[in-house]
Amino acid sequence: MEALLNTGSTIDEGRLAKGGNKYSDDYTKECAVCWMCAEDYTALGCPGKVSVTSRDGKHTVAVYPKVTEAMRSGQVFIPRSIWANVVVEPDTFSTGSPRYKGSPVTVEPTNEEVLSAEDIVLKLYMGGE
Amino acid sequence: MVFKNIICPVCGGSCDDVQVDLDTKNRTIDVQNACKMGNAKFQEVVSSHRILKPTIRENGKVKDVSWEEALEMSADILVNAKRPMFFLGSETSCEAQEVGLHIAEYLGAPADSNATICHGPTVMGIQESGMVGATAGQAKNRADMIVYWGVNALESMPRHMSKYGVFPRGYWTKRGRFDRTMVTADPRVTPTAVASDLHLQLNPSTDYELLSAMFTILNGKEPHPSVEEITGIPISVMKQTVEMMKEANFVAIYVGLGVSSSYGKHRNIEIALNFVKEMNNYTKCNIGALRGHCNVAGFNQLASYLYGYPFGLDFMKGYPRYNPGETTCVDLLREKDVDAAFIMSADLVNHIPADCAKYLADIPMICLDIAPCPSTTAADVVLPGVIDAMECDGTFYRLDNVPVYFEPFTDSPFPETKSNEDTLKQLFAKVKAKKEA
Repeated sequence: MEALLNTGSTIDEGRLAKGGNKYSDDYTKECAVCWMCAEDYTALGCPGKVSVTSRDGKHTVAVYPKVTEAMRSGQVFIPRSIWANVVVEPDTFSTGSPRYKGSPVTVEPTNEEVLSAEDIVLKLYMGGE
Repeated sequence: MVFKNIICPVCGGSCDDVQVDLDTKNRTIDVQNACKMGNAKFQEVVSSHRILKPTIRENGKVKDVSWEEALEMSADILVNAKRPMFFLGSETSCEAQEVGLHIAEYLGAPADSNATICHGPTVMGIQESGMVGATAGQAKNRADMIVYWGVNALESMPRHMSKYGVFPRGYWTKRGRFDRTMVTADPRVTPTAVASDLHLQLNPSTDYELLSAMFTILNGKEPHPSVEEITGIPISVMKQTVEMMKEANFVAIYVGLGVSSSYGKHRNIEIALNFVKEMNNYTKCNIGALRGHCNVAGFNQLASYLYGYPFGLDFMKGYPRYNPGETTCVDLLREKDVDAAFIMSADLVNHIPADCAKYLADIPMICLDIAPCPSTTAADVVLPGVIDAMECDGTFYRLDNVPVYFEPFTDSPFPETKSNEDTLKQLFAKVKAKKEA
């Protein structure tokens, strides 16, 4: 499914980040989540996990789906966090600010493991160090 | 012991009414008046995961070292790099940021802050158009119409609505919420949108088109009918919104990253600012950015005052340059244009796109922070941070660019340093000694 990715704050994302708990299970449960509407979730086959892939196909991240009436069809939301930023486009349109809102992404069902924030750093960014 | 009127060092709201009961014996802290995020941050003073010892990464292994060793290695990294980058985060004081800027100038390095990945495009829009602004107190006392555009205030600055924006009883808004009309423009149905009188649920990245159409309506013209399909908002609703604004006595518009991070970036802000200027032909209207990070406005003020530019500075040529898209941290990292990094009071690895984060993890990185996070994991040197407004004094700039001086209620837990400013001064002395040796 093609969708436009929106990222932003949630109150518990803020609570856990400001409280220094980015490596907690609660943080993963709050932020490694892709919000979508029921219609899109059904179209995906009601999966337990989804992979979100950037437009250029270079980066993919596995997250848990969350069905909510806050979203419209064709739009997904991931709380501002390392999971969202794996697929946020780095182009800044000469402003310095990447495309945190409005990056086109592909969302598909997956069996991949949802990594913790620490594992994303170690496995994706530090080459498994 | 109970301390009153403590400044909260979490978001741009800089709430100044926090009450803290610190029990140093049992290592507990009770916090009143702060929001969920503020309370969590105050708990860091007594938390078990606080970074209390400097560490370095050696042959892939992380080990504790003395402050002296950590500062030596940090200075070595910065002096030996051809082009080190300084990211002077916003969860610390202007005083610490100032020292960081001076080190960057001394080394001829680029220096940036959270503004670049936050309201940087907003600042660029202000440079294009100028801004009709007001302090938060003005809006509290006068505004009878509040517009949250591309911002979920209830979750990103939880006390904004209750302290400055919607609910407080002001001098000319004595009935608080009942004297105010609240409008939210957001593609999502956020808690802020639910609390609003009118929700403009526009399509993503169509802020420019919607603002442009409302500008057209304000000028007495009919916008092109296609704007309804593009934005998802009926023209009749746009007209109703513009009419509500014209009829209000004082309109306060708050923009968030929904405007400045969406497609269009600073141009979205530019047209919003022009719209506000035009609206002042009919009524009092001002605009402000809801700054999510604590002292992010402070870096803009400080860098502008010291060097003429608000963020994305580059001292490579011996004088400050500013060219967003070239001298800003995400672009520098994406283009692999730096070979070392100093990150202070910001979890940059967490907040930048994967290509940039991966490169940042590849190059030598020094990180000054208070708790374990992706940046400290990827860092080669970790320097423990002192928590501003709790353990040391200094200055923050609030979301409306009002400077707020804060005083601590406890001491730095480190005998080696009193504050992040102190740590950076020690680092600067070592950098100078090595460079001039």
